[in-house]
Amino acid sequence: MPVEVILPKVDMDMSHGTLSAWHVAEGELVRQGAALFDIETDKAAMEVESPATGYLHHVTAKEGDRIAVGAVIGWLYAEGEEVGPAPAAAAPAPAEEPAAKPAETVSAPAEIAAPVAQTDKIRATPAARKAAREGGIALASLTGSGPRGRIQGSDVAQALAVYRQPAASVAEWSPQPGPLAVSTRGGEGVPLVMIHGFTADSQSWMPLEKAMGRARPLIRIDLPGHGKSPRRRIASFADLARMLVEAFDDATRAHDQVHLLGHSLGGALALAIADIRARKLTSLSLIAPAGLGPEVDAEALTGIIRASRAESLAPWLRRLTASPDTITDDYARAAMATRRDPELRAAQADMAQSLFADSTQCFDLRPALARLETPAAILWGREDRILPARHALAAGSECAIHRVEGAGHIPQYECPEPVARILARHLAGAEATAG
Amino acid sequence: MTTREISYSEAIREAMAIALDSDPAVILMGEDIGTYGGAFQVTLDLIDRYGPERVMDTPISELGGAGVAVGAALTGLKPIFEFQFSDFAALAMEQIVNQAAKLRYMLGGEASVPVVFRMPAGSGTGAAAQHSQSLEAWFGHVPGLKVVQPSTPEDAKGLLLAALADPDPVLIFEHKLLYKMKGPVPEGAYTTPIGKARIARAGRDVTIVAGAIMLHRALEAAEKLAAEGIDAEVIDLRSIRPIDHETILASVRRTGRLMVVYEGVKSYGVGAEISAMVAESDAFDYLEAPILRLGGAEAPIPYNPDLERVAVPQTDGIEAAARSLVRGEV
Amino acid sequence: MADPDNRPFAIRQYAPDQLREALRRMYLIRRFEEGAEQSYMRGLIHGTMHLSIGQEASAMASCIELSDQDKITSTHRGHGHCIAKGADVGRMFAEFFGKETGYCHGRGGSMHIADVKTGNLGANGIVGGGIPIAVGAALSAKKLGRPDVTICFFGDGANNEGAFHEALNMAAIWKLPVIFICENNKYGMSTPAAYATAVPNIADRAAAYAMPGVTVDGNDFSAVAEAVHNAIARARAGEGPSLIENLTYRWRGHSKSDRNRYRTKEEIEDWIAKDPILRFRAELITHGILDEAEAGAIEAAAAEAVEQGIEFAKQSPAPSVTDVTRYVYAEA
Ligand SMILES: Cc1ncc(C[n+]2csc(CCOP(=O)(O)OP(=O)(O)O)c2C)c(N)n1
Ligand SMILES: [Mg+2]
Repeated sequence: MPVEVILPKVDMDMSHGTLSAWHVAEGELVRQGAALFDIETDKAAMEVESPATGYLHHVTAKEGDRIAVGAVIGWLYAEGEEVGPAPAAAAPAPAEEPAAKPAETVSAPAEIAAPVAQTDKIRATPAARKAAREGGIALASLTGSGPRGRIQGSDVAQALAVYRQPAASVAEWSPQPGPLAVSTRGGEGVPLVMIHGFTADSQSWMPLEKAMGRARPLIRIDLPGHGKSPRRRIASFADLARMLVEAFDDATRAHDQVHLLGHSLGGALALAIADIRARKLTSLSLIAPAGLGPEVDAEALTGIIRASRAESLAPWLRRLTASPDTITDDYARAAMATRRDPELRAAQADMAQSLFADSTQCFDLRPALARLETPAAILWGREDRILPARHALAAGSECAIHRVEGAGHIPQYECPEPVARILARHLAGAEATAG
Repeated sequence: MTTREISYSEAIREAMAIALDSDPAVILMGEDIGTYGGAFQVTLDLIDRYGPERVMDTPISELGGAGVAVGAALTGLKPIFEFQFSDFAALAMEQIVNQAAKLRYMLGGEASVPVVFRMPAGSGTGAAAQHSQSLEAWFGHVPGLKVVQPSTPEDAKGLLLAALADPDPVLIFEHKLLYKMKGPVPEGAYTTPIGKARIARAGRDVTIVAGAIMLHRALEAAEKLAAEGIDAEVIDLRSIRPIDHETILASVRRTGRLMVVYEGVKSYGVGAEISAMVAESDAFDYLEAPILRLGGAEAPIPYNPDLERVAVPQTDGIEAAARSLVRGEV
Repeated sequence: MADPDNRPFAIRQYAPDQLREALRRMYLIRRFEEGAEQSYMRGLIHGTMHLSIGQEASAMASCIELSDQDKITSTHRGHGHCIAKGADVGRMFAEFFGKETGYCHGRGGSMHIADVKTGNLGANGIVGGGIPIAVGAALSAKKLGRPDVTICFFGDGANNEGAFHEALNMAAIWKLPVIFICENNKYGMSTPAAYATAVPNIADRAAAYAMPGVTVDGNDFSAVAEAVHNAIARARAGEGPSLIENLTYRWRGHSKSDRNRYRTKEEIEDWIAKDPILRFRAELITHGILDEAEAGAIEAAAAEAVEQGIEFAKQSPAPSVTDVTRYVYAEA
């Protein structure tokens, strides 16, 4: 089945775009993720990545054309796939989609929301599978260099070499310009805004997202110096909170109401946002939030920040969970892969210095918690060794507290099913109250 | 042991002469192998040297002839039976498949059939559908038979002597296009082990398994590829049954790519067996690309020379297939 | 009979036109094979070839009474049978040259030459391969109520194949309209019939299958014609098969790679002196069927037809290599 190429919506209030340039000629091969064409909206110019690997055919738009959002402008055919007459578009997207329902859109900086897997089977050679099995690396995390994107043994070897190579440590890093990275996933209903914890990134929500299923839209914000966000100098928690409020405002402009979820440091930030954006929030959910007491396992945080290879990262990551088995070598390698950039680690180290100086949480959100009007729930793993669960006791009478069995500091990773259930009930309950 | 250059057919003849000299139980049987010297002049003058008692022309009676050889082998003689063309073994399937292959087993190991069948095979001579087949896989399917396929004069001699020393029926597929090929052959008696493949060219990028004439085409293709930096390992299969698992699997583990080149019809053939063998083994885990089979067309061998050429793998086709395999195009 | 006629059987039996046509075809066979030999030497023909030069009377006299509905099965030495049965030499050459216009579209070559439309079910690369097939054709005629007969050609070497014995037995028990014609040219490749066959005459094998067996001079057109005529009459009358042995000789080697080590020059020359075509031509002249000039004209016409046939074959297109698997199965 050929894959459609559509003119995507890349801006919230965009109904049309102008195709400014094709990067691939008709009949040419393009790899998934490679630049396919540029579009211009009245606000910005944007490069659009290819949704699949294949040969481009049945191109209907030429450079300079103004095209409705969702219109099919070409088809990608797999190697050897017969190119017949142009297929009918699977679901012709209406040109005037209400801005409140973003499909898989791109937010600044350009980042296509997690693509829906095309097939659940991964194309890989037997040698690649063996190497991945033995090296403890997930094939899904690799891009194949073989025909039709097949993962070759050499691709795995290369990835393993990267993981094993010790990352150089630099204390020097330079800040980067630009807004915080926001990625979205489409859906129906009131969106859920998610803020991850210190040293994590938006990818870390994956298990929870899976457990929650595809229902409501998601808006994920990457902290500065984390994930795809630019590195920033953070003088204080207040500084950081300001950045997050700004990003929150930008990301939720199209919505009247959103739910807000934060984990750990993200929880403290969510609380800070709730403090000043109460009217926008239908609910607030905090997983092991920071800022509710002075104690923190700073040793683990430093260990994670300092680690330059999977082997030295793994023991610290194991502190995060109730059961050390949850953190496989494979997971550690994947985690290390996201932290390979020494400047990122240096930026995080500086951030830790301002937020957790002298092994102490230097910010206190208990007053904000006390002022909270939004329906709130706190979830805390029974075996959290990073932040003490007793900090939750600061909550007032209206706030629910859930102790997640069998979980440490990251229950959303360790026990995504119960966490998803708690959240679903909490969000639904809040929506019912609000409605 | 000194070595000199002689042809494939001379090497076979030399092996037969050594056998006739050293073992009075050895006899040669076949159509026109006496005065005529054999359709491909392989027995040539053996009739003059050993006489009609040891070099026996048979009537044109393949079923009977093969069966008589089987019966004689069962009871003390060691016949080397020449089929004029291996295609005619179709007329003798009964005696080869139902009798020779099974007698030892059916008789609970009490009997032995040390017969050797010589099978001139292959296309490229313009002899069309009934004189050009490569039927070795048929016999490879039958437990109780051994099937070999020499690709060099040295092995032609060594495998024939090994076949004679073997207590079980052995079919030797000799490629007609190789009869005139010259190569170094040691003097005197020696055997080439049945069931042992040979690495004819070491390489690291792709394993090409081939036998008989295809070995030479594969080697030629490998040389051309070497100029482009593609380093093919070429394995001379030599023995179809028993097959040398270890040499092939070890090579595939090294190169991660496998191509089997053979002249018999592509489907249900030697290529299928070797591919399956790799797929079933741990060597599977070393594959970096699908396994390729290059075999004969799904058709009888045609008469027209151009059709005949395209009906079986040729050097350029092997070269192109190996290249695309190594370049990751398949 | 009131007027005892001691002219040869053929002269008595067949109309002058028929006899002239028979002579023409015998010359056509001879010139065709010479032309094929020349073309082979020029590299126009691939593979090998088995020439029947010297055996033309056997082929022609066996086929003289046959219609296109009657069938023949032929052998690797089958050019003569094919022409005697009425094939066009142009299409035969085209086949030898591997052309698409050939009788087998270039797939078969000399060894598989056939003309299914004139009832020639084909030459055969397998010695004895055609014998059971001929019996099958006769079975069809009988079961389907057709009057056709089948003539099954084979060599002296073939009579030692199991297929020969099995087929003759079946033809006999079912009384099938088939005539087995053994062209005994003294050798199966290099092996003398006298060495390879237990009985002195191959016709003696008939006794084992309870059918008439006769041995005739295969270079005597009339003798062959008479024996075949009687066998056909018996077959059409539903009385079953017959075995006829035509004693003849091939002048050329077994195939293109024969070193003639198994026979002498003298023997070959003796037989060349017994040229069946000259013998038949002389007979026709003696009995006033034609004169020297007419005979010369027939011979020249045959040569001319062969020239044209070669030209046609040369000009013909070759099959496309992409069609290598065409004709393996019925086309959808
Ligand atoms: C089954 C089989 N065995 C052997 C051969 C090889 N071969 C081809 S022709 C021939 C001799 C046949 O002798 P004969 O039947 O007397 O026919 P002739 O060639 O004399 O016309 C032989 C041995 C064959 N083609 N098929
Ligand atoms: Mg003969």
